Amino acid sequence: MRPTVDKKKMEAIHGYIPVAYELLEQNRISRREFLRIATLLGMSAGAATFAAACAAPATPAAPAEAPAEAPAEAPAEEKPAIRRGGTWTCAMQLQLLDHPARLSWVEGANVVRQVCEYLTETGPDNITRPFLLEKWEASDDVKTWDLYLKKGIKFNNGDELTADDVLFTMSQWLDPDVGSSMLGLLSYWGGMQNVEKVDDYHIRLHLDSPNIGVPEHLFHYPAVILHRNFEGDIIKQPVGTGAFLLEEYAEGERARLKRRPDYWQMGEDGQPLPYLDELIFVSIDKDAGVAALQSGQVDSMYDPRPADFQALRDHPDLVVREAHTAQALILRMRVDLEPWNDNRVRTALKLCQDRAKILQLAYFGQGDLSIDAHVAPVHPEYCEKPIPAYQPDKAKALLEEWAAEKGVELPLKVTLATKNDQAEPEVAQALKELAAPAGFDISLDITEPAGYWDRWTEVDLGITSWTHRPLGTMVLPLAYIKEAIGAWNETRWYDDEFTALLRKAEGTLDVEARRAIFCDLEDIMQERGPIGNSFWKYVWNITRKEFHNVVAHPTAYYLMNEVWKEA
Amino acid sequence: MARFLLRSLVSAIVTMFLVSIMLFFFLEVGTGDVTVKILGIESTPEQRASYRAQLGLNAPAWQRYLDWLIGSDWRAEKRVGYPLVTVKNPNTGESEWWADVNGNLTRWKMKDGKMITFHRAEDGSPVEVDLPIPWTKLESGEEIFWGVDTGNNAVMWVRGAGETVWVRTKAGFRKEGDGPREYIPLRKGLLRLDAGKSLQTGRPVKVTLIPRVRNTLILAAVAFMIVMPLALIFGIISGVNEGKPVDRTISILGLALTATPEYVTGIFLILIFGIWLKLFPAVALFTSADAVFENPKLLVLPVLTLTAVEWGYVVRMTRASMVEVMDAPYIRTAIIKGMPRSRVIFRHALRNALMAPITIIMLHVNWLVGGVVVVEAIFGYPGLGSYIYSASIFGDPNAVEAAAMLLVIIAVGTRLIGDLAYTYLNPRIRYA
Repeated sequence: MRPTVDKKKMEAIHGYIPVAYELLEQNRISRREFLRIATLLGMSAGAATFAAACAAPATPAAPAEAPAEAPAEAPAEEKPAIRRGGTWTCAMQLQLLDHPARLSWVEGANVVRQVCEYLTETGPDNITRPFLLEKWEASDDVKTWDLYLKKGIKFNNGDELTADDVLFTMSQWLDPDVGSSMLGLLSYWGGMQNVEKVDDYHIRLHLDSPNIGVPEHLFHYPAVILHRNFEGDIIKQPVGTGAFLLEEYAEGERARLKRRPDYWQMGEDGQPLPYLDELIFVSIDKDAGVAALQSGQVDSMYDPRPADFQALRDHPDLVVREAHTAQALILRMRVDLEPWNDNRVRTALKLCQDRAKILQLAYFGQGDLSIDAHVAPVHPEYCEKPIPAYQPDKAKALLEEWAAEKGVELPLKVTLATKNDQAEPEVAQALKELAAPAGFDISLDITEPAGYWDRWTEVDLGITSWTHRPLGTMVLPLAYIKEAIGAWNETRWYDDEFTALLRKAEGTLDVEARRAIFCDLEDIMQERGPIGNSFWKYVWNITRKEFHNVVAHPTAYYLMNEVWKEA
Repeated sequence: MARFLLRSLVSAIVTMFLVSIMLFFFLEVGTGDVTVKILGIESTPEQRASYRAQLGLNAPAWQRYLDWLIGSDWRAEKRVGYPLVTVKNPNTGESEWWADVNGNLTRWKMKDGKMITFHRAEDGSPVEVDLPIPWTKLESGEEIFWGVDTGNNAVMWVRGAGETVWVRTKAGFRKEGDGPREYIPLRKGLLRLDAGKSLQTGRPVKVTLIPRVRNTLILAAVAFMIVMPLALIFGIISGVNEGKPVDRTISILGLALTATPEYVTGIFLILIFGIWLKLFPAVALFTSADAVFENPKLLVLPVLTLTAVEWGYVVRMTRASMVEVMDAPYIRTAIIKGMPRSRVIFRHALRNALMAPITIIMLHVNWLVGGVVVVEAIFGYPGLGSYIYSASIFGDPNAVEAAAMLLVIIAVGTRLIGDLAYTYLNPRIRYA
């Protein structure tokens, strides 16, 4: 007998959830996707997980088999009992921190997120769940969103969290004078007049255009919820709902946080979280961070580089956890300039990527190979495509055809600009060698990161690092539509068919339907798009082994509430 | 002597002035839009422009230089019409600017589209008072008001025109037209010992710079006290034993150490003593501001690294100088006269032989304070060198200028000490 799940209840939350449930039962979507859809549409995470566990995939196994949940449960390993107390020290550079909405770097957000919290949380599994919210509900056209706050959550100054705090925080995001990057991200909101306070725990968004990414955007790193009387400096006014209290923040030196005794989330032992007593971030260089981790002076380091990963991976006292991401070093070509305005030249350069080799040379093989579209396998709507092979002969033929037409002599001299930051120089160097047999003569123009960011939208040919975003529909509109020219469309490429499909995808909740659209989007990008991409990076969380419940997050966020330390 | 000191002082002031103008100019042309660095590349041009205005970066360069040097409260006072004063906030310990309106310390704030007046209470906290805002009507019909906001700026608010802010209403938020349009960040200027606010950290430069200077001075002093006596002693031993095995050994060791860059020495010391033997902390981790006093072991490896680099230079310089002096006729005479060898060396040779090393040593004090960026980076030591480096990369004029002024003072100071040491060592040198 299979335990039944009440589909009526699911339907009451959103009409699509029972459909997704059936898809799950038929093995057409994965458990993860079901969780994502269900939670995206407002089902609580617990209920969705339960439903997912109940939906036994229709396997051809004998009907006499054990109940559905049994096979999923591996024999539970002896888990050590949770222990409270202890200090966790982390090497991470600390810079300007005043208004959290103005944060432009993840390190600062990693400190703030211990003090203040988000309405939602995108977990290490890339699934977004309600956090300060009890649930959310989206209308069928995905233009009206109802956000329901959890009740009884207290700020560390004793005030209760209400819709007023949320509305105040949102007004800060959308105030141009504050300078928050949320303003650009939430341009589809259409301003504060579209945010309605229904009651003290209920906020309704009336979006100008449909968008399925609202829950994900609410976890963008500057989006912590502030107290309604916040005046613009979190260090002078460290008021939040989070599990830690900010004791000290000194830019370029250190940050110290102490456990808050009356936090709203409960631990496994029935007492309030967090388990750790103290968090210390020390602002040191990454090289010094590696040495400090090796000598046992710190317990973790922020966002290790591939070389740091190499140095630390075999250390017996450290545990390396990796996360698959949608972070990439995108090779992008300006389609409004010679010679990249001709698709044959673009295709030729794309064919020169020996992806496995580039991944090996630039990132020690620590990544997922990619197609030439800005959609990663971790995106729920990713449509699987074969990884293109390295074909210098075909590239050469294309380039020769173009050169003969234009009367240009080969090799074609081009300049590839990028920054000396993560692994861009290695990718550029590898590409230079790989593209030489096809008739490209690439010279490299590598500057410091700030130098490249001054001109990243302007260079003809460049390698730009793109950060992780949880949904494919959050990435593509940033850089591959006409409206983004002048902003983030660094290649000036747009395509009417592509844009129409993308707009359709943005309003499609059904992951499978959206994936069908993405199959076409990926094809268009591979066939005539402006970018090449060899791999999606891994990020690592490297922490000493006595710490438990540590998770590697694809955006290198530190989620410390449930971390505990062995004696 | 007085004239000599006076001359040093004047040259120090002139140097500081020139250095400050040059640095200001270089930072002005050399760094891009600093608001991109603060707000991130995701910020919109509109936001950047607003933030530039709030930081007072719209003013012409000469104006900003003058503000840095002599302060901006002069010109702000003319606009506001009341004396502007600074008072320490007992709760945060930071200085705040207030307008002195007929004896009441006053600030203003725009909230929900309305101007609110605050008076400062005895305990430093702001108290809301109900007073009318004296708007000034311009010829263009706009109504403006200059006051002091809660962020230590002199601000021009405009009534019902152009600049928009978000205003809460029952239905939600709507845009309202009253907003600050012009900002003058208030500061006293360097001449009144206010180094201003760092763009990179958003805090007063003083707050971040002083701990760095302290850390660096401790590191430099310890390194200096260890390396200089050692180097001088070995240099003298080497010099008086010219050509003997002891001289050869010291010379080769000195050469080897000088030839090895500090990042190599540093990494090896970390690997051996920090990670393998675990005798000393591998990295100078400042988990509290006073870590260096709580755990002086932090200093061991950085000091050893600096010693390794410095020792060779000074030894070679001392040795060469010693060899030259020992060849001098008056030394030979003294030896032939039958004077004890130790007396010849310490009474007659040493004083003259020290002239050249003193110059080197004094120059190296400067390097130890401001130039050991590499050593600071390897050991994560929060010192002045890395402070200047990161401030320059960011394009943070106030921080760079303040640190540079300190370095000029130290440079002039050490030169003064060096000059005084000369006159002591060689009475023939006299400054009239």
